[in-house]
Amino acid sequence: MTNILVVADIKQGALKGSAAELLSKAKALGAKTAAVAVGHKVADLAPQLAAAGSDTQYVVDDPSLELFSAGPFAAAVVEAAKAFSADMVWFGFSETGKAAAPRVAVQLDAACATEIIDAAIDGDNIHIVRPAIANKVLQRVKINAPKLVSVVRAGAFEADPEATGTENVITLDPPEKDPAAAVKELISDAAGEIDLADADIVVSVGRGAKDQTGIDLVKDLADSLAAGFGSSRSMVDAGLMAHNKQVGQTGKIVAPSLYVAVGISGAIQHLAGMNGSKVILAVNKDPEAPIFNVADFGIVGDLFDVIPLLKEEIKKIRA
Amino acid sequence: MKILTTVKKVVDVELNIHVENGAIMEKGLQYVINAWDENAVEAAVQLKEAHKAETTLVSLGSGDNTDIIRKCYAMGIDNAIHIDDPALAKADSQIFARVLQRVYEAGDYDLVITGKQAQDTDAGQAGIMLGEFLGIPCVSNVIEIKVTDDTHIQVSRLGDAGTEIVDLTLPAVVTVSDSINEPRLPAMRGIMMAKKKKITVMDLAGLGTSFEEVGGTARKSEIVEFMAQEKRKGGRKFEGDPAEITAKVVQLLVNEAKVL
Repeated sequence: MTNILVVADIKQGALKGSAAELLSKAKALGAKTAAVAVGHKVADLAPQLAAAGSDTQYVVDDPSLELFSAGPFAAAVVEAAKAFSADMVWFGFSETGKAAAPRVAVQLDAACATEIIDAAIDGDNIHIVRPAIANKVLQRVKINAPKLVSVVRAGAFEADPEATGTENVITLDPPEKDPAAAVKELISDAAGEIDLADADIVVSVGRGAKDQTGIDLVKDLADSLAAGFGSSRSMVDAGLMAHNKQVGQTGKIVAPSLYVAVGISGAIQHLAGMNGSKVILAVNKDPEAPIFNVADFGIVGDLFDVIPLLKEEIKKIRA
Repeated sequence: MKILTTVKKVVDVELNIHVENGAIMEKGLQYVINAWDENAVEAAVQLKEAHKAETTLVSLGSGDNTDIIRKCYAMGIDNAIHIDDPALAKADSQIFARVLQRVYEAGDYDLVITGKQAQDTDAGQAGIMLGEFLGIPCVSNVIEIKVTDDTHIQVSRLGDAGTEIVDLTLPAVVTVSDSINEPRLPAMRGIMMAKKKKITVMDLAGLGTSFEEVGGTARKSEIVEFMAQEKRKGGRKFEGDPAEITAKVVQLLVNEAKVL
């Protein structure tokens, strides 16, 4: 029997969708499942974690964990992994997971694989599959260690609506603070924004939008679709869009049902962050733009003409 | 302040990658400096200019890394070490982190700056593991570094809920995002000077260690095979009257793709 511990991604007190996706996959592999919630005021999430498919819920809840600090966060996960005798620890595709997973792996003397899209257990052997080289190839990796710590790529696993678990809450002591890395402040992202990672539709804006007027136009389309609003790297580099909006190899990796690329040429770096989307729609005035090579549907035209029309058409059809 | 930066030579991701029989075909590949490591080098050179820091870079790998090291020299790096050992061709992130640990311990560094991940693997592990092995603090995905005093820096990190401001006591490891800076294009004078500078090349034995000692003979993961990624194909592209083609595409999104 394999024991899989899923680390809950929590943002502004709410459980993210990754926990249910990862727990569903763990159950499908026939594993014994547990989840761990680390943070402040996270104890209330235990029933949700049970409903998402975990049979044990570890809770590490302390005011000192309100602001994320990788050292204490990893220490809390390590305690839960030890308590559960976890063979695998899975993190969702978050900055929290990316920062904590390598630490947890070292502390558990485990193998570490990030950005995995599949995991298979064959007797005592674990194999994982992950993309590499800007999502241009896949690697099959054999794990030689008895334990594995992983970060699961966005959109890799689907939540099973039928998945169930049992509530069995175990509270663990909070970790010590790390005085050498004192988290002073969190400058929060704007509240009420739709999270790119969880959005069913993502609309992203690129250099074709030129300036704030163009950005506002595309943002208006995103809002009307209740979509996440992302950006190409060039708009971030130009200071027109915030860093946390960047979709791409180095930014956010998204895999929504519909990705709408507006005025984005389609650099390799950008494609690596969105080419797992189910359907891609591109709007670009350059018919030769590389984005059309990956888009299921392409509209060649000036976004300043097309975007208001697109918004109107969708509104009509939804009415 | 003494700064150690790391650079990796990686496959140019802009080019086509061909996979055959479980392996990547070497033909047609080109190798470049990892883009995020270039951000790390730029960050180190900026600290050198503003705070008189001494900058050393280390490059791990087997083969000739002279070209990327010369580029970093031209950007303003002071010293360079290349750990050139054929055994490293089979290394995973933990092994690289162990080698970096040996390099760190052989010097007297206050700060290590690495790129947040390498473009060829996108693993993002080695820098964080280095901090863990050394037992010193590490902050990843950093977009700003400010020097507070001789033994403290303040960094800004892009986290899940916003930008996190962290006070670090040195020594520390920082892994940087490409959002931190725009790497400079070396000036001609720098390029000329770089040609004259010495690169210290050594193998693992020269570093006082061995592949076994850095975990190489008990590596925790190994790549069994590469597989071609299913390539997305372009679908239907519409040109013409904006109102007409937009209406058509919305119909398709609703009735055919069923995503609206």
